[in-house]
Amino acid sequence: MESLLLQYPWLDELLMGFIGLTWKHVVMWAISALLIYLAVKRDYEPNLLLPIGFGALLANIPSSSAISQVVGEEGFLWVLYKGGIANELFPILIFIAIGAMCDFTPLIRRPIVMLFAAAAQVGIFGTAILATLMGFSFEHAASIGIIGAADGPTTIYVASRFAQELLGPLSVAAYSYMSLVPIIQPPVIKALTTESERKIKMGYSEEDAVSKTTQFLFPLMIVLIAGIVAPISVALIGSLMFGNILKVSGVVENLSNAAQNELSNLVTLLLGITIGGTMSGENFLTVQVAMIMGLGAVAFVFDTAGGVLFAKLLNLFRTEKINPMIGACGISAFPMSGRVIAKMALKEDPSNFIIQHAIGVNVAGQVASVVAGGLVLALIPALAK
Amino acid sequence: MDGAVLKSVTMMAIALPTMFIVIGVFMLATTLLHKAFPASDDEEEE
Repeated sequence: MESLLLQYPWLDELLMGFIGLTWKHVVMWAISALLIYLAVKRDYEPNLLLPIGFGALLANIPSSSAISQVVGEEGFLWVLYKGGIANELFPILIFIAIGAMCDFTPLIRRPIVMLFAAAAQVGIFGTAILATLMGFSFEHAASIGIIGAADGPTTIYVASRFAQELLGPLSVAAYSYMSLVPIIQPPVIKALTTESERKIKMGYSEEDAVSKTTQFLFPLMIVLIAGIVAPISVALIGSLMFGNILKVSGVVENLSNAAQNELSNLVTLLLGITIGGTMSGENFLTVQVAMIMGLGAVAFVFDTAGGVLFAKLLNLFRTEKINPMIGACGISAFPMSGRVIAKMALKEDPSNFIIQHAIGVNVAGQVASVVAGGLVLALIPALAK
Repeated sequence: MDGAVLKSVTMMAIALPTMFIVIGVFMLATTLLHKAFPASDDEEEE
């Protein structure tokens, strides 16, 4: 073959796709197909898994022009990576969109739900410790732990700063496990609660309406407090709350709608295919990545356990008991976790409607995950010195 | 204990209590905000 190529140099150009093909490419095609299957047939986070799956396919064609890093011939996925992920732009834009979609009124009515959300971030730190025990560097371990924030943009934001080489697997793990919340959370909750605890009813008291002024001042207040505690988190929490203030101000409905629809859709599309573009076989088919996928699942289990056990702890001191299942909604996977727990309660007792409480905790998870992300962002450089 | 493990444990020891303190401040500030600006009758009807 080599002599043939020497004799006919143009053959090299013509056959480069075949010549460069390795088993890793073929395995990655299977992984791309799996992601696309999960998106299309199983409806698992299709907005992300479909573009990620297709991006991974483009990245795993030998000599693919889509991911070329040759100066002057840069592939579009490489250009998107440099312009949207390496500089953290895409996750920030996604946060603006999420903020515009969030309704914080359940959280404002019952601020105590934020405690469950804080407890459900425990998975971040437990997983980071486990990752270091498995041999990961501190920066990489902390970035892996962030999968436990159950918040894709925060994962991407932290990884793009401290674990760029792990960005692909971290993103895939974060979004895959978010879509698997209905499978991961119920067995953990059942293992940690008794049947009678799962049947605890939480009444619906007459609740004050939240004034427009309060709704408007809430994002400003959160930005100021979080920003002063961890200035490095201002980009994350600031963009989330900027999106929210577009919505609650009531004066820029067109911008709020644009953030919720056009911006969200466009950035999700670009983010997904760009992450897929980072999943080359060389980077992805490693023992390290297999361990990251395992640790991602562990992070979600720890989070769920943290929230549930914290609710059980609170119950020791309360006369009016809380259904401990709502503690599990403190993860940021919104609104999926809230719905899963509400369904579980109904399954245990068809007259037990806890969705309002579950969604309140789930909304608080959005804020807590960003706070946790901000603290990790601040602590990684400080402790890595 | 390995350096990376120690750093992770330190991160947890600092971040978890800090997070609960920050969340506590959020709770307090949110409660005060909600009380300071109660909904008007019109807003309650909505």
